[in-house]
Order: sequence, then structure tokens, then C-alpha cells
Amino acid sequence: MSFFSAENISAGYNGKTVLNNISFQVEKNSIIGILGANGSGKTTLLKAICNIINHSGICILDNQNLSKLSARELSQVCSYIPQRSGIDIDISLIDVVCMGFNSRIGIFNQPTKEMHYQAIQALDKVGLRHKAYENYRSLSEGQKQLCIAARTIVSNPKLMVLDEPESALDINHRYKIMSIFKNMAKESDSCAIITLHDPNLALQMCDRLILLKNGEILNIIEPKNDGLEYMENALSKLYGTVSLVYCKDKFNKSHLVILN
Amino acid sequence: MAVWGGFCLGITGFTYQTIFRNPLSSPDIIGVSSGASAGAAAGILFFGSSLAITLSSFFGAFCAVIVALLLASLDNTGRNGSIVLSGIAVHALAQTVLMALKLTADPEKELASIEYWIMGGLNNISIYDMKIPAIFCIISMSILFLLHRQIILLSADSDEAKMLGVDVKKMQLTVLLISTLAVACTISLTGLISFIGLLAPHIARLITKNNRKTTMVLSGLMGSAILSLADILARSVASTELPISIFTSLIGAPFLIYLIIKRRYVL
Repeated sequence: MSFFSAENISAGYNGKTVLNNISFQVEKNSIIGILGANGSGKTTLLKAICNIINHSGICILDNQNLSKLSARELSQVCSYIPQRSGIDIDISLIDVVCMGFNSRIGIFNQPTKEMHYQAIQALDKVGLRHKAYENYRSLSEGQKQLCIAARTIVSNPKLMVLDEPESALDINHRYKIMSIFKNMAKESDSCAIITLHDPNLALQMCDRLILLKNGEILNIIEPKNDGLEYMENALSKLYGTVSLVYCKDKFNKSHLVILN
Repeated sequence: MAVWGGFCLGITGFTYQTIFRNPLSSPDIIGVSSGASAGAAAGILFFGSSLAITLSSFFGAFCAVIVALLLASLDNTGRNGSIVLSGIAVHALAQTVLMALKLTADPEKELASIEYWIMGGLNNISIYDMKIPAIFCIISMSILFLLHRQIILLSADSDEAKMLGVDVKKMQLTVLLISTLAVACTISLTGLISFIGLLAPHIARLITKNNRKTTMVLSGLMGSAILSLADILARSVASTELPISIFTSLIGAPFLIYLIIKRRYVL
């Protein structure tokens, strides 16, 4: 059985179906991306997985049914990054990152010294160490995303559910943050389900891609293994006619690029 | 009394503003104070003794909050807004009760004492009266301090807080009940005291520029300081003691205007 599997997930708002019978699996150490037009149900799917919204069907992570877990248990195995964090008070970055430890310390307790140290390390990874004691609200949107990513790093989950964690980042940071998540998946025996803003980034960084349209799975492609023509057809069904080409960068490494 | 009452109002103001993410929140928002007024009015009309007035205003405050929270729980989406909305509904309801009670009151004596109660004052409170409420307040303040981290977590979106391992609904309810207990204990003795719960946390945040435990403590201390100042003024300006809310509002309103102008009008 797969490390994570979603079976027959359906969900909707106010009687309107947004997701229709979605099933897929994610293997340990891998990253699966979700691509789809606006309103295709990407965020809803992530919220259903995290059990934030009502849904039918089940999600199993490492033999645990996610909807049976309490908030505390769920947050110990699964970390969620919303499109925008709702934090809107004056609070230092280090305190934001330490929120990631919440489910591992008693509700009355404070994070330990060791946890503080880990939080600093995580901020270092995303390049915000020098701002650790500054006000979260003084950050740019991109820096906020990096800070929230650091919070996911310290929480050390089995499953990362990430909703466009790179939407506000510049190109350099996009690749950096995705590599961090990728390494986390590889090194700590976890996996990630991620919706991405940028299809090129998705083609390059994800092991598999779910193509979502009107709440249904059109196709699941594997950028590393599938044929160019097959993927081109699949993506064209999603975005209208697109071309896929291989480009070589100046280090002679080949990249898959989508052209409209 | 001023020190302790101000402290409670400051801390609970901080708590409310943080979990509702609304800089204008104070315990009034979920109907505590109007419940307390209605309760006090009932106490003045039907019993008359000062102990009965205290008890009945405490009862009124608590009922108001319980009703508000019950109403809010009817809306199962778990949004913050529903608590605020039902608070406003309860507030309106309690005001109506208060008006009805005032109408039946004897205009010479009872109506006057209802009005005086609503304006608040720290005279006529002996150490003996304070004992039991003080114990409640100390307990609830300590719990709020211990829950400080959770209160901060509640300031994020409820989805986000949930995914950080907070049982949002239960925690919100717990924190609200505890802080309401403290407020009810305080204002049932003092009568309404406006602006402290609103103002003290703003001053504290202006000084510390963050939302850590120190800010919370400072909110309490600021509350104590403002209320003590107002109490001193109330006792010394005129030959008879004036209602304390005149002075808290006198300090509070200009400061609020200052905050608006400075555009630091956020948490």
C-alpha cells in the first residue's frame, strides 16, 4: 500500500460539487504536484486532505485515517501551508516558526531552547536568519512565505500539504524553497502534495503531476518518465494548446519547458 | 481595587483583541457589560442590598455571555464573526431589558442608582467584598497567562490554527469563558468601566511592538495604571466622588483619536 492514498474524495460548498471522486496515491519520499486552472478545485482538494472542510472519501497516511485524528494528532503528522497565512499581529519571526512545535509541546508549555535553536536553523535555511527577531508584519509577501515554510520545516511532518507556497517568491527563491521541500521529502521519509503557480517549476520539481479540471482528474503525468507527446496532449487538455520542449541550460542540463 | 480591576480589564482586553483579530474588541463585544448592567438594574430594583446587586450583575454578565456563545455555536462554520454578531445581538437584548427595568424603576432613587452603577465607581468597595472575586480573577488570570501561546495561535486563521494542532473551537470557548469570568467578577463590583480593556493593550503594544507574554503583562499593568489614575482623579477633582468612567473615557477617547491619526490602527 502506498504511503499516502486519497480514495474517492468528493467535496463541495453550499451543495455545489467542487471535487468529484478524486483518488490518487503518493509514495514515500516523493512530491506530487497539482496543476489546474483557477477554480478547478486545487485548494479544495488540499483542504479536504487536511480535513479542514467536509468531504466524503478517505485519506490514509501511513495506515492512519486522517479524518479520525484530533487536531493535535493531525498536526503532528501533517503540515499545511495555506495560500496566505492569516497571521496579522505584531510577532517576531522566531515566534512564528516556533508555532510549528505547538503540537509537540503541552498547551501550557513554552518551546525549549533546543526548539529555538531548530527554529533559527530553519530560518537560516530559508535565508531569513538575520531577521529572526524582527516583526513578521514588516516582511514582504515573499518573505512571509519563506517564514511560513520554515515553520513547516521545524514541524517535521510525514505529509506536507502546500498551497502555492511559492506564489509570491522570485525565481531564485522559488527553486530554493522547492529544493528544500524536495530534500525534506527525501531525507525524512515524508511526502508532499503541492499546488504550484508555475507549471515550469512543477515539471521540473515534482515526481508526478495531477492535472485537475472542473474537480476531476484529467491525467496524472510523470515528467521524468512519460513521453513528450503524451504529456503535451495531457497539458493541452488543461491549458489549451501548449508545447513542451526540452531546453539545455548553460551547464548542459536538460529541462522540460512549457510554452503557450 | 483599581490596580487589580485595571489589570484584569487590560489582560482580557489583550486576549479579546488577539483572538478576534480586531483592534476594537474588548470584553464588551460579546455582551458582558450590558449583561452586567441589566443584572445590576434588576438587583437594584428587586433586592437593593449591595451584595445582591453585585451577585445579580455577575449573574447577568455571565448569562449574556453564555447566550452569546450558544448562539454562536448554532453557526457551525466556526468563524470568528459569528461570536461577534451574536454578541451584538445579546448586547441589544440586554439593553432592552435594561430599558424596561429603568422604566419600572422609581425615578427618584432607583433610577438614579442604576445610572450611577452604569457610570462605575470604586468607592463603597471594601476589602471584604473583594475577597472572593479576587480569588477568581487571580485564577483566571494565571490560566490566561499559561494559555498565552494558544491565544496567539488563535489569532491566525482558524484553518491554520487547526493545522498547527489547536482545537480551535474548544480553545476559543475556554479562553472566552475564563476571561469573561474575570471581567464579570471585576465589573460586578465596580460598575461599568469603559475604555480600559480597549486602551491598555494598545499602549502595551505601542511600547513593546510585539505580542509576547511581556506585552500581555504590560497590558495588565497599563490597565492598573490608567484605572488608578482615573480613580485618583475621580476622588480628588470635586468634593464628592465622580463616576470613574468619566475619567477613563476622558483619557481613552483622545488616545484612541491619536491612534487613528497615527495610523497604527492595527493589532
